[in-house]
Amino acid sequence: MNDIFIDVDYHQMYKSGQKIGGDVFLQSKHARSNQIVCTLSDGLGSGVKANVLANLTAHMAHKLSFSPMHITKSAKIIMNTLPVCSERKISYSTFTIADIRCDNPHEITAQLIEYDNPPVLHFCGSVQRTIGVKRINLDREGAYKEEVVRQSSLALDMGDRLIMFTDGVTQSGMGKTFPLGWRHTGVAKYISDLIEHNPDISSRELSAAIIRKAVTFDAFSAKDDITCAVVYVRRPRRTLVVTGPPFTRDNDELLMQKVRDFDGKKIISGGTTAQIISRLTGKKVSVDLSSWSVGVPPVSKMDGIDLVTEGMLTLAKVATALEQKIPVNTMGNDAVRRFVSLMLDSDQVSFIVGTKINEAHQDPNIPVEIGIRRTIVGRIRNALEQQFLKETVLEYL
Amino acid sequence: MVHKKVVVKICVGTACFVQGGADLLLYEDFLDPDLLSMCEIEGSSCIGRCKLDDFEGKAPFVEIDGTVFGQMTPKRLIQLIREAVNAGNK
Repeated sequence: MNDIFIDVDYHQMYKSGQKIGGDVFLQSKHARSNQIVCTLSDGLGSGVKANVLANLTAHMAHKLSFSPMHITKSAKIIMNTLPVCSERKISYSTFTIADIRCDNPHEITAQLIEYDNPPVLHFCGSVQRTIGVKRINLDREGAYKEEVVRQSSLALDMGDRLIMFTDGVTQSGMGKTFPLGWRHTGVAKYISDLIEHNPDISSRELSAAIIRKAVTFDAFSAKDDITCAVVYVRRPRRTLVVTGPPFTRDNDELLMQKVRDFDGKKIISGGTTAQIISRLTGKKVSVDLSSWSVGVPPVSKMDGIDLVTEGMLTLAKVATALEQKIPVNTMGNDAVRRFVSLMLDSDQVSFIVGTKINEAHQDPNIPVEIGIRRTIVGRIRNALEQQFLKETVLEYL
Repeated sequence: MVHKKVVVKICVGTACFVQGGADLLLYEDFLDPDLLSMCEIEGSSCIGRCKLDDFEGKAPFVEIDGTVFGQMTPKRLIQLIREAVNAGNK
């Protein structure tokens, strides 16, 4: 596993009263080429029309940035494709594309393509760095204004951040708190202060803080769709998930050593597995009867382990929660909530799956379906990799 | 006079939990408060009885003062705890 992690997350708030937004953020990762592409687009207006424009733009920009085609050509295709607004008689939406490649841990490069969004900010720690920009004139036929795409390329180091946002952020508070809105310099100053006070702030927290501040300037009723995305290069946070007893008893000792020596958060999922670790380390497992819910057995406690849960039922619910992206704050106070929170707060998740079959689960009289451990762990890995861009490794014992 | 509390362990292993063990965890709702004060109830990870064919009964299992009982229901649990408490009082 890499010793470097690129943490990408965003936060968004729609214009007050709108149920759908005109800002769209997309991110995807190519596992093989170590490439991450993030696209932020702001459609003309707000609501459904803007959403269609932004979605079209973001998806096209996203797909085209994986192709070898030159950016000017891609940008022209996007603009020629967008539908024309019936009121304003123009087709328009902005975009920012960040194409980040990490060929080796010492060399991370980012290509930025920006069209009419507020310029991307580059922070090294809490210090803002200037980005050298090349301006490309599109000279498109049928253009109703001068169309300039800003292209830049920069190297990212450990602790660097790229912050992109839509004009909802820079124009927040316009005419109220500030005559011309928060403005680019105001946002940069705020981000710099935030990072100075909390140098390790995650992308999720930083983007949420910026959005909260912008909405405050708008007197808590957003005047435009507000979106902010953060790319942060840092050391990975690791979590180990151990589930199931090893196929042979001889490997119990090995399992215990792997758990003991792991550097990071530790989850044991499975009563029997917990008992094995407990027997070999001499640490007691105690069940906490206060935290369970329908379908999710109680959490247990063990010294040195961050979370001890029941196995199959909990894992199945965790898989479903991750696949359906159920927000953590809507879950009950049970094992699934804690499990999912730990997963989402880590960047690399290692699974050690014991392959011994539990005979008690094979009883056909059991009223609920108890799945196969390997399948369920596979679902969790898939969801973590595809939907949350986490790195995972799997080992059978 | 201080009575020794009855120790009750409810198995929360997967097989027990799905076959009625979850209902037993609502013990605070169905146990008489007087009875509740006379016992110490805790959860236990799989106690392993579900894997034995020759054992009396099936999941869910509950251990009361060291003796394991199978096919436990809230009704039966009340009865067994009452018996254990009465036996301790004598």
